[in-house]
Amino acid sequence: MKKIVKAKINGILIRAEEGTTILDAAKKVQVKIPTLCKHPDLKPSASCGLCIVKVKGSNKMLRACCTPLDEGMDIITHDPEIVDIRRTVLELILSNHPNDCLKCDRNNDCELQKLVADFGIRQSPFTQVLRDLPIDNSTKAVELEPQKCILCGRCVDVCQNRQDVWALSFLERGMQTRISPAGDILLNESPCVKCGQCSAHCPTGAIVEQDDIGKVWEALLDPDKYCVVQIAPAVRASIGEAFGLTGKNMTKQLYALLRRLGFKAVFDTNFAADVTIMEEASEFEERLIKGTKSLPLITSCCPAWVDFMEKFHSDMIEHFSSCKSPHEILGVLSKTYYTQKNGLDPSKITMVSIMPCTAKKYEITRSNEMSASGFQDIDIVLSTRELARMIKQAGIDFLSLPDEEADSMLGEYAGAGVIFGATGGVMEAALRTAYYFVTGTDLGKVEFESVRGLKGIKETEIEVAGKKIRIAIAHGLGNVEIVLDKVREAKKNNQEPPYHFIEVMACPGGCVGGGGQPYMVTDELRLKRAKVLYQDDTDKQIRCSHQNPYIKRLYTEFLEKPLGPKPEKLLHTKYTPRPIYKR
Amino acid sequence: MDKKIVLLKDTSIGAADKTKEYYSLILNLLRDHNLQDSVQVVRVADIGFYDQGLVLKILPEQVIYGRVQESDLLPVITETIQGNKILDRLALKPNEKQLRIVLRNCGQIDPENFDDYIAADGYAALKKVITGYKQEQVIEELKASGLRGRGGAGYPTWMKWNFARQVKAEQKYIVCNGDEGDPGAYMDRSVLEGDPHSVIEGMMIGAYAIGASQGYFYIRAEYPLAVERIQKAIAQAYEYGLLGKNILGTEFSFDVEIRLGAGAFVCGEETALLASIEGKRGTPQPRPPYPSIKGLWGMPTVINNVETLANIPVILLKGGAWFGKTGTEKSKGTKVFALTGKIKNSGLIEVPMGTSIRDIVYNIGGGMLSAKGIKAVQTGGPSGGVIPKEFLDEPVDYENLQKLGSIMGSGGMIVMDEDDCLVDIAKFYLKFCVEESCGKCAPCRIGGYQMLGLLENITNGKGTNSDVAKMKRIAQAMQKASLCGLGQTAANPVLSTIKYFAAEYKEHIEDKKCIAGKCRYLLNYKIISDKCKKCGLCLTNCVFGAITGNREQGYVLDSAKCTKCGRCYEVCKFKAISKG
Amino acid sequence: MTKLTKASFDQHKAEIQATSKNWIKVGMSTCGIAAGAEEVYKILLEEAKKKNLSIEIKKCGCLGMCYAEPLVEVHVEGVPQVIYGKVNKDIAIKILEKHVGTKMLVNDYIFDLALTMKEVRK
Repeated sequence: MKKIVKAKINGILIRAEEGTTILDAAKKVQVKIPTLCKHPDLKPSASCGLCIVKVKGSNKMLRACCTPLDEGMDIITHDPEIVDIRRTVLELILSNHPNDCLKCDRNNDCELQKLVADFGIRQSPFTQVLRDLPIDNSTKAVELEPQKCILCGRCVDVCQNRQDVWALSFLERGMQTRISPAGDILLNESPCVKCGQCSAHCPTGAIVEQDDIGKVWEALLDPDKYCVVQIAPAVRASIGEAFGLTGKNMTKQLYALLRRLGFKAVFDTNFAADVTIMEEASEFEERLIKGTKSLPLITSCCPAWVDFMEKFHSDMIEHFSSCKSPHEILGVLSKTYYTQKNGLDPSKITMVSIMPCTAKKYEITRSNEMSASGFQDIDIVLSTRELARMIKQAGIDFLSLPDEEADSMLGEYAGAGVIFGATGGVMEAALRTAYYFVTGTDLGKVEFESVRGLKGIKETEIEVAGKKIRIAIAHGLGNVEIVLDKVREAKKNNQEPPYHFIEVMACPGGCVGGGGQPYMVTDELRLKRAKVLYQDDTDKQIRCSHQNPYIKRLYTEFLEKPLGPKPEKLLHTKYTPRPIYKR
Repeated sequence: MDKKIVLLKDTSIGAADKTKEYYSLILNLLRDHNLQDSVQVVRVADIGFYDQGLVLKILPEQVIYGRVQESDLLPVITETIQGNKILDRLALKPNEKQLRIVLRNCGQIDPENFDDYIAADGYAALKKVITGYKQEQVIEELKASGLRGRGGAGYPTWMKWNFARQVKAEQKYIVCNGDEGDPGAYMDRSVLEGDPHSVIEGMMIGAYAIGASQGYFYIRAEYPLAVERIQKAIAQAYEYGLLGKNILGTEFSFDVEIRLGAGAFVCGEETALLASIEGKRGTPQPRPPYPSIKGLWGMPTVINNVETLANIPVILLKGGAWFGKTGTEKSKGTKVFALTGKIKNSGLIEVPMGTSIRDIVYNIGGGMLSAKGIKAVQTGGPSGGVIPKEFLDEPVDYENLQKLGSIMGSGGMIVMDEDDCLVDIAKFYLKFCVEESCGKCAPCRIGGYQMLGLLENITNGKGTNSDVAKMKRIAQAMQKASLCGLGQTAANPVLSTIKYFAAEYKEHIEDKKCIAGKCRYLLNYKIISDKCKKCGLCLTNCVFGAITGNREQGYVLDSAKCTKCGRCYEVCKFKAISKG
Repeated sequence: MTKLTKASFDQHKAEIQATSKNWIKVGMSTCGIAAGAEEVYKILLEEAKKKNLSIEIKKCGCLGMCYAEPLVEVHVEGVPQVIYGKVNKDIAIKILEKHVGTKMLVNDYIFDLALTMKEVRK
């Protein structure tokens, strides 16, 4: 039990656990202290200087974001002097920020803009000083516009400390300070894995996803193109937030919406997730029972994780599942199976993926295997945030749309497919089917509670046919090394591997916390989004991928058998070590 | 009679130096008395007194006479030299304004010779402490001394140590902050170069008191000689068993390493310094937690400035009470200053706390460099402020300097005369902080930059009265909302000049004039036709075509075309060009 | 060198304190070196050897009187210990010849500030 401290905030008595910051304590008494740099996910960087408060008995002002509440403190959060200083600081920040809000990606969804509106700033008393810094769109996934950066440091913190990627850092000092990869190289020459967590945490428009909405509109308007679309599991749980609705499953409205936008067929990535499970569970069965390749098996459906592994942990390639990620599988199936069944010309198909992710934009051209259909399997990737903007551009009252269903051929999914979007979900889905493959019987209880939740590294043991299967789940790339080091250690000492099966998701919380998801994510929100997915799973009659009748039909009519020659050609990929720095 | 020596120097200010004349007079008188072989007369360059007329010093008796007139010379010879009688009317008390505690060994010992330091009581305090003191006793002694941090803020050293001592931790660290960066300040450099073992000994005593086994010297890379000497001293101490395992055969073990600062001023700030040692970007971190509780790699860490540490061995050797006898009520001991600017004897001085600025300027500094009067004294570097001449008699200590709108700082002291423009000075210091801001927090990074822009407007003749109001507003935001000391104090030079030299700002803004003649864009050059000899040198030197005319009719300067470069003023041999 | 212990520390100190002889010290911190102290130090070494003078030439740190660098402090038995400032090659030779050689002080270069500084050690 932590000690409780008593203090006063604006005269209101408050009790809080020792170590609670003044900022968090104030929220408990309904006081909102403004800040531009503190993000609930991250440690305070204390850089913006807006959260200053007065403590009686001191003539200094303290930063509420990083000062813990102390016994007996008497705090004033708002008085004319404090507000005036905050206003001056805000005006100073504005003098160093372009004021082209109307043309900015973050217009109406920007923390700086909102504060400026709250403070009612109508004049700019200070000379506008802007730095002439080029936009870096080299990754084709995230776009860095340093001129709009207010140097809050969130992106650097998340990139270095949560994701352990170290692509972004601060360069130079004073007014020349800016964020950039070390050595002033381009992002795609840096260790960047395109996870997009930087963009998800940015308070302004300094780091955003590459906007591909234009390409989609163009394809939809092209009479020669046959546009098909898929939505990832996590998108349905978060898209509502862009319209003021949290914790709501929007699957059926999304199907309706996408048809209204002009897509000829609407598929669901969840279906392909079921395919992934068929393949991956078979791989696992082979390694476990036949011992064809060494254990552990490591999941590979997260493209940022794949990039990270190829750059930093390429010694793990042999452990990687060769199975492609679900949206790539759906891409190749739509340009082969779907077109063949419907007599369509695959060259005319434009496949669009709606993803919670920025790395998927990179994945679609990652290697030659991403064009297994003979064409680029996925043409365009839109993030959840882009789709929200597109809905607004289309003038559709999204929340009021009637329910519709997906196009059944590549749209019907088992419960296992939808939980892919939460950390532990791939593992759970795989275990359901692997159990069947190994034992020949279905599980009585399909839920594996121990793999759920937001703990950074989850380790558990599951019994399959009298054999104890050790598994580990890591999310947030910063948690990966600990798990992999255990594998390496065992290998070095010729011991049995510490795990049989490892799931990794680059983003904290898995795809529900993806880099392309709506802004201001917190752990609370990640759990809410995950709950939507688990509820969807619970509501499904069919919970396991191998039970999905459309999956069965797909294998009978087209793929034949898991890991067979056709899946090998279409659904599997290769990995290669990549340099951390390109120059 | 023993052989005697007479040192002499004419110390009159504003008159021709007559040392040589007096020298001949005395020589003649000595010859008259047949003393030429038993007394040597020596002209000296500096006799340690200023503005006291002719000063004589008779050795070996150390008798000092001031304001000696020609008519006094005979009695000096007959009565003092021959008769050993002191002439009270001429006698001066020794000018002992300085007290060297920190600099006790600087210039006395060979910094590269271990035995020199040992002979000067080196490591005697360490031996005393590690063989007979409890940790608490060391801290008690320090508490009794009243020593406060010499890095600037003046936090009591014993408290810092005590906090770190009380925390239970596997590992504790002590760090010597040698990242001296104030413009014009070099106290720490001199101590590190002149007496490196003292600093190491001070650090070891601190380490013993808090329970640290590892120390770091953080020294700026611009001090290669200091680094070299500390390096040598560390190697010697290891060789003699004064560093390493079981020092002097006791349980106490201590290791030291050096880390180089790469030139960022902000790394003198505690938390930035620690980040830099850890190999991270040197930016300040929020406090609490304070480094004494959670510092290097999350462990309790004490950071002391070089001068602070150099004080420690003497305090432990002579006792805290002895140290506490020097200084003022709240500021004990001495302070080393780097005395520079428009002063005769610029250099490193050490005075008891409470010495007046006047004593420092006139009795140690030897007075002003030229006939121009003193205008102000700047202390505390870029975080400090200016003290106008009205306050020359104020004693120098932590509280008093703060009361005057400046700070003690690390010990830079710059004397300014009528030729110095205080707006320009404020601009200089602010520019320094703007360039050295780490860029992390918005009030400092942008506030400083915007304020500098406003100051530049004023010195360029484009300033308005509202600019001053804007500067004050930015200053308030910087003071209250900046994360670290650099930002919180960066506006001090501006605020203190606005406070004391408001008239000078007004002249710049309203009259568009810089009386001191420092602000180039406010200058007006004119050719004074009466003095002009029509040589044409100004015309050939003006590359902007602002001067026209010929040898017959003379020359005129078109101020509209003039860029105020000052070239014509410099080349004119007849002082026929006026500036102002 | 064997490592010092509690006991041998005092013994070592007593031994080195016993040796006292004539010496010249040159201020060789950054301020002194910048003003030319290296050259002065070199010339003193060379000339003392040439003249066969029994005197130790040593380096020391900054004396504080930076305006008068290079500084040279001279200790010769029977002559008051003084500091010479603004010393150049010629003055250095003069100091050796006159001060060390004939025990007479050299005119015009003495900076008698040392007497104004109380030192804690003495």
